[in-house]
Amino acid sequence: MENEKTRPIPLKDDNYTHNINRSNERSLDRRSFMKTMVGAAGLFAASTLPWGALAAKELMGSSSKTFPAQKIANLSDIKPGDAIEFNYPGEHDSALFVYVKEKEYKAYQNACTHLRCPVFWDRDEKELLCPCHHGKFDIATGKPLAGPPRRPLPEIVLQEKDGAVYAVGVKRYEEQL
Amino acid sequence: MGKQVLYIEMDNCIGCRSCLAACTQCGGHDNRNRNYVLDVDPFISRQTIPLMCLHCVNPACARSCPAQAIQIADTGAVLSALVEKCIGCQNCTIACPYGIPKFDEEQNLMYKCDLCYDRTKEGIPPMCASVCPTNTLQWIEEAELEEKRAQIPLANGKWTASHDPDVLEGETNVKISLPGILQGKQKLF
Repeated sequence: MENEKTRPIPLKDDNYTHNINRSNERSLDRRSFMKTMVGAAGLFAASTLPWGALAAKELMGSSSKTFPAQKIANLSDIKPGDAIEFNYPGEHDSALFVYVKEKEYKAYQNACTHLRCPVFWDRDEKELLCPCHHGKFDIATGKPLAGPPRRPLPEIVLQEKDGAVYAVGVKRYEEQL
Repeated sequence: MGKQVLYIEMDNCIGCRSCLAACTQCGGHDNRNRNYVLDVDPFISRQTIPLMCLHCVNPACARSCPAQAIQIADTGAVLSALVEKCIGCQNCTIACPYGIPKFDEEQNLMYKCDLCYDRTKEGIPPMCASVCPTNTLQWIEEAELEEKRAQIPLANGKWTASHDPDVLEGETNVKISLPGILQGKQKLF
């Protein structure tokens, strides 16, 4: 016996009263909304733990990366004050070898820590200079002296053997602080 | 024990207002009754009828509530406004065709009959039905209601105190039987 009064309300017209059933109360109320939010936040927080573990592993040094040694130049071929560009450790990681003076040389990965412009050796000022925003780096430590960069250039560990200089590793960021 | 419903045999009402007293004195009701006793046609007859919320299947009050503060329990009872949700807009008082929801200006809150949900969900009759001396308000199982319905077409249509859903705005969970006097006929006992 269906007439105008007993006909159920069609779903398309039943827009605003989806939650008037008491048994549905727990599926849509503020509290369960907050539970969902907090739960999602917790889930996101928990999902970052693997990365945290990776970072911790890195920081513990339990997985210190080793790179193959790479010959840069013979010391007899270069004069004090010269700089040589080379790529280390990968073929796309440009680096800069600076022969500061006799018995003293340094090498840094020369992508500026501000926006990765190539840093070059300013022979007259005796410092590393980034042309893009005039960031300057200390040649002794690689630490920034002026301009926008805040972090040191990654230092490349050098080794002298039979009158030639070899790059044998890259210092960790933490070691340079 | 099957599902029980409130059945109102309005012909039996003698206007004693016990149901009002019971509702008023019920705990949590703040000395306010949520049901009413009306004169059917004052000065002409003594017939009164109790009127409480009929707990519509599609309640206009709940559907009109912008805050969804009026909830339908799984027993079919349409509950009173939730204190924490009701915004006091009084849409429900306008929407209800029977004038059931009342508004409390002080608390800014609607209150209405909830069929004594805490009682009826356990199978205990609501306060009004438990005190009615004349069996006007009956808390009966659906099977018994069907028996009453089956008697309606008897006596060549002279039995007129019949549940007549067409007088209501829609299907209700509280079943009623209108007094024959409303149809100008005498009820046979």
